[in-house]
Amino acid sequence: MSEVTIYIDGQEYRVPANTNLVDVAKFYADNDIPVFCYHPKMAPVGMCRMCLVKMGSVEKNRETGEVVTDENGNPKIRWFPKLQTACTQTVYDGLAIITNSEEVQVARDDIIEFILTSHPLDCPICDKGGECPLQNLTMRHGPGQSVFYYEDKMHLDKHVPLGELIYLDRERCIQCARCTRFCDELVGDDVLAFHERGRRLQIVTISDPPFDTKFSGNTTDICPVGALTTADFRFGARPWELKEVPSLDPYGPEGANISLSTRLDRDAGGRIVIKRVMPRQNEYVNEIWISDKTRFGHHHTRSDERLTKPLIRQNGQLAEASWEEAYQVITDRLRAAKSLGVIAGPNQSNEDLWELKQLASHVENHHLGVFPATMSGGDIVNTVGVGVGTNFLDLKKGDVIVVVASDLEEEAPIWYLRTKVARDRGVKLVLLNARPTKLSKYAKYNLTYAYGDAVSAINSLISAVIGAGKINDEILSRVDGYDELAKSVKKPAYTNFTEAAEAIGDAQNMIVLAGSEGLTLAQQRELMQACANLLIVTGHVGRPNNGLIPVWHGANIQGAYDLGFTAEATEAIYQESLDVVLVAGCNPVGEVVEAEALQNANFVVVTSLFETETTAIADVVLPRQSFAERDGTFTSGERRVQRFYTAQGVIGESLPDWRIFAEIHYRLGGPKPKLSAGAVMAEINKAVPSYAEMRYKKLAEMPRQFPDVGGEDLYYGGTAYQNRGGIGQQTPTVAEDPEARLSVRPVEAMTPKFDGLVVIPTTLLYDRGVLFRRSTLMHQRIPAPHIVINPEDAEAQGITDGDTVAIVVEGHRYEVQVKIDKTLPRGAVLMPRRLSNRPDPSVPTVLESIEKIVQPVPVTEG
Amino acid sequence: MENILLRNRTIPEIGTFETYLEHGGWEAFKKAFSMSPDEVIQEVLNSNLRGRGGAGFSTGRKWSFIPKDAERKYVVVNADESEPGTFKDRELLEFNAQQVIEGAMIAAYAIQATAVYIYFRGEFWDIAHNFEQEIAKAREANLIGQNILGGDWSCEFYTHLGAGAYICGEESAMLNSLQGLLGQPRVKPPFPVMKGGGLYYEPTVVNNVETLANVPWIIVNGADAYRAIGTPESPGPKIFCLSGHIAKAGNYEIPLGTTFRELLYDLAGGPQHEGKGFKALLPSGASGPVIPLTEDMMDTPMTYESLVELGSVLGSASFIVMEEGTDMVWAAYKMAQFFKHESCGKCTPCREGTYWLNQLMTRIISGQGTMRDLEILENAATQMQGKSLCALGEFATSPILGTLKHYRAEFEAYVNGEKQKELPASKTVAVAH
Ligand SMILES: Cc1cc2nc3c(=O)[nH]c(=O)nc-3n(C[C@H](O)[C@H](O)[C@H](O)COP(=O)(O)O)c2cc1C
Ligand code: SF4
Ligand code: SF4
Ligand code: FES
Repeated sequence: MSEVTIYIDGQEYRVPANTNLVDVAKFYADNDIPVFCYHPKMAPVGMCRMCLVKMGSVEKNRETGEVVTDENGNPKIRWFPKLQTACTQTVYDGLAIITNSEEVQVARDDIIEFILTSHPLDCPICDKGGECPLQNLTMRHGPGQSVFYYEDKMHLDKHVPLGELIYLDRERCIQCARCTRFCDELVGDDVLAFHERGRRLQIVTISDPPFDTKFSGNTTDICPVGALTTADFRFGARPWELKEVPSLDPYGPEGANISLSTRLDRDAGGRIVIKRVMPRQNEYVNEIWISDKTRFGHHHTRSDERLTKPLIRQNGQLAEASWEEAYQVITDRLRAAKSLGVIAGPNQSNEDLWELKQLASHVENHHLGVFPATMSGGDIVNTVGVGVGTNFLDLKKGDVIVVVASDLEEEAPIWYLRTKVARDRGVKLVLLNARPTKLSKYAKYNLTYAYGDAVSAINSLISAVIGAGKINDEILSRVDGYDELAKSVKKPAYTNFTEAAEAIGDAQNMIVLAGSEGLTLAQQRELMQACANLLIVTGHVGRPNNGLIPVWHGANIQGAYDLGFTAEATEAIYQESLDVVLVAGCNPVGEVVEAEALQNANFVVVTSLFETETTAIADVVLPRQSFAERDGTFTSGERRVQRFYTAQGVIGESLPDWRIFAEIHYRLGGPKPKLSAGAVMAEINKAVPSYAEMRYKKLAEMPRQFPDVGGEDLYYGGTAYQNRGGIGQQTPTVAEDPEARLSVRPVEAMTPKFDGLVVIPTTLLYDRGVLFRRSTLMHQRIPAPHIVINPEDAEAQGITDGDTVAIVVEGHRYEVQVKIDKTLPRGAVLMPRRLSNRPDPSVPTVLESIEKIVQPVPVTEG
Repeated sequence: MENILLRNRTIPEIGTFETYLEHGGWEAFKKAFSMSPDEVIQEVLNSNLRGRGGAGFSTGRKWSFIPKDAERKYVVVNADESEPGTFKDRELLEFNAQQVIEGAMIAAYAIQATAVYIYFRGEFWDIAHNFEQEIAKAREANLIGQNILGGDWSCEFYTHLGAGAYICGEESAMLNSLQGLLGQPRVKPPFPVMKGGGLYYEPTVVNNVETLANVPWIIVNGADAYRAIGTPESPGPKIFCLSGHIAKAGNYEIPLGTTFRELLYDLAGGPQHEGKGFKALLPSGASGPVIPLTEDMMDTPMTYESLVELGSVLGSASFIVMEEGTDMVWAAYKMAQFFKHESCGKCTPCREGTYWLNQLMTRIISGQGTMRDLEILENAATQMQGKSLCALGEFATSPILGTLKHYRAEFEAYVNGEKQKELPASKTVAVAH
């Protein structure tokens, strides 16, 4: 990055060119220029005028370009007559500012005074009090006493719901437009706006349903005052009572860094509980954003329904027992077991998985499965995944992001947001899908394929890349199998991908996000290989900002693959009649129809937070701990291994999974259980080469981040963005080793032929999963069980929007509502997963019958 | 002198396409069309025509800033005319529409614009309607639209009606409003002429109606002839809008450099009421400081520069004249109300400051103010200066500071209990002690 010289209060600084003056002053000169409307993640608007500084330019000799100096050798500066806003200034060579003069101080005092003329300063009852930029700046710059008459203040509504999640206090709003700009500029959801003008200017929601975005909570963080508060936290605690514990999103594959704000709580029986979830700055992962699922989905951690004691089935009933009794029953069974299947849930930590694997190895015939088994190819990710040091923020004009077979906003909202913002910076977006998604409107190329045909689509893209002469010749010397691959794609199924292929061929950097929508597991694995083929032959592997990102359905599926668990094994467990099945932290029986076969196992052990359809068939149920009561690591889809820390008190007698498995293993003759998760990781470091460097200490390293959004001063965020838990570490990919050979291989499309309508399972962000449904606050956002169908198909079936119908799929009957979507291709019937309490089909399946059971109530006149 | 702008005064119906053609209409455009775009810009630059919308910026220079290589460029005609006491553009638009259209098309040709937009204030509904018909006639004559005059250049002309906000006269707020966004100004730079700053973020020339009405004459008669009118720094004719306590209110087209006496006495007949003298002048509607209208200044030529010397600005030359006996505090109060009502609310000093100034003025005018209020009033206005995002915040301070400077005693009369006005209940404010 090129550097320029700037002058702040007479001091000279070398700083990166084309960066924002406020960010630079803060980071390089430790000079906090106060701001309200400016936010480093958004384009400046110069509204609040808080950042006024004296500004000028160094005089330069026109011929030589040298700086002109005065008699004392100081550079001569031509100042603007008026103060200028620092936030709207990009640094350039010779820029000079003064921030400490009386003129600037007075200007700051003046602006604060103006803001306070219509701000209630009700800090004692304000959620932001204690971490509020306005409060801080008032302390620094505010007049001791206002000359403005208190009676002249405007009194406005203090509890305006902007939807059920966020409340607006109109008196406190200082009209900085951070919230509106976040929604429409960054996220692209046009849901908030200003109404009226002048002092009547006010924030309103303009969407129906109100504040309709999956990122609404972030506005409460960036609001520089207490005008926006969440229904979850408002009036819940004072910031200085809260202890911030670094943690990770337990739901998604993005590895969003969060901070759990905890407190000893009277209402929770004097236990330490989570009062709120805040984003924790990690510029590589989620910057400072989290989805509303991450923010509001934490209530399972302290739900009254949590399991507190081991349960053993006696006379057909599950009855409470001691851990020793439970261990006894399990070890007895395992000693005699001829075969064992383990199914690891989506947020088993790496430590849990490791101990689970050690335990399973006690039974020679064992399968290590992962749940949900929607996606495969973790090994492929370890070869051609995104290079170490990858950061979406580094993608720029000339780079390409490809998204295939995924509805990214629903499946990985943080990647959706970062992809959308990258596109705003000029990154070209290539979307391959069987239907339009919310991302489609941002895509440069929307390439549509028939459901199930994703592999052909990628093959066609490779074919077009070859046709356009854009194969990366340099890399071919280390690639095996290119000729066969080239031959196999000679006759592409789709011939209109040329432009997209050229963009891909010309891309400096390219990331491919691959999902699983509409694919069977076998097809999905082939899709992963097809994506690998594309990345390899175009040379987009083995370096930062290039490679494959799998859109896993869970927080640690990547970790599971890294430690030897696969979705294919899960399928085998469903199909084979196994002696013992151990289900760790998931609910297959309640979620997928295939898992009904688990009932046939002779003995079923389940670790769980709650009673579920799976615990209902178990012989022993063991109470596990939630992510908040323990520590561990998750590996994100970008293969970033990150730590989460213990935040709240233990519920009942629950134990962390790794501990449970180690105790059982110990009783079977295994080693003594380790004393901490960290000690388990030390074992992994030794045994798993790609995890050799993933030591707890290293994962906790905390380099300084730019822009500096958290920290002691609270001008930017006004929140607990500060990251004290480390930014984690990516595992290296095979492709990063220049000596390593890479292989491509032809992949077959295996596109199935269906007659009639096909049910396509899809994944939504908000569902009735075992954990998320405990957050009752979010229930309004979880749709009723439904199918989505094309209007012509609906008409042919005699159904309309809003109908309730009974559908039969593979002999299972579901009552669902009908939603009509004209963008959907004919023949496809989307059926989102986990909306009912019934297990769903997990792969595309023929719809056997559809029958209307309830008419929508007609709206009557008068 | 013959009218260059208000030709409707001597030629009835000149606003219609047919009559306009009979009187040499569109000859200027055809002449410009035979020149290169750069030559047209140069001619306007040489004429030293300065923007009539208020800021007085050189029109030729503005046009010359438009990047040549931009694929899309626009001309936006500012017909928002919302300044209190301003009604000059209205007469041009209503009765001399073709000249405005022709001027805009010359500007469009000079910068090779892809489209022209005219932004009318909302109340100009009927004018806009008529305008569209006049545009259609010019389009039919191949002066607007596809392949104009058989050449390669195509340029459409669209009309747009505002929705009643003074701030939408400010050029960048107008561009936002045209784009369907909230009518609030943008941060500058980038200026409208620059990539990223104009309509749909493409380079855009924004010119006032009257500015563009000058252009056809300049093209036909040349820059030298134009500069022969007025003064070297402020050349050309200017329409002065006279209102208030003046015998003959109305628009006056006179060369810049005419003296106050010639305008106010010789042309407009002096003060409204016999026996009364002049007291004060708001030369630029509400947006410039008030100045005492004294006998000493009567022979000063009226130019952009001379009004600055007198402590005000020429702006749009909307002269609100006040004769002896006018209550200056009341006048300042009315303007404080105006700005409070019109502040867009985007930036802190103006949003809060205009509200505060209005509260203070209300208190003072209703006889409840104190000396301390006067002090606060002055401080608050001073505090706003130099800090706002756009000029409106600056304008809002001038009625207060200008009036306080010259007529402090009148304010003191209010706070000393010598004077007070009954206000309707809806306008009163709480009183604190
Ligand atoms: C608050 C405010 C209101 C304005 N209102 C008008 C207006 O009504 N008409 C106008 O032509 N210019 C108005 N202007 C000036 C415009 O911003 C701009 O300078 C002008 O249209 C440029 O045209 P010109 O160079 O031809 O004068 C206003 C400026 C401000 C700050
Ligand atoms: S609600 Fe908060 S973020 Fe939104 S404009 Fe008001 S102060 Fe700014
Ligand atoms: S000065 Fe007033 S009108 Fe201009 S941007 Fe600020 S609030 Fe809006
Ligand atoms: S104007 Fe710069 S921070 Fe608001």
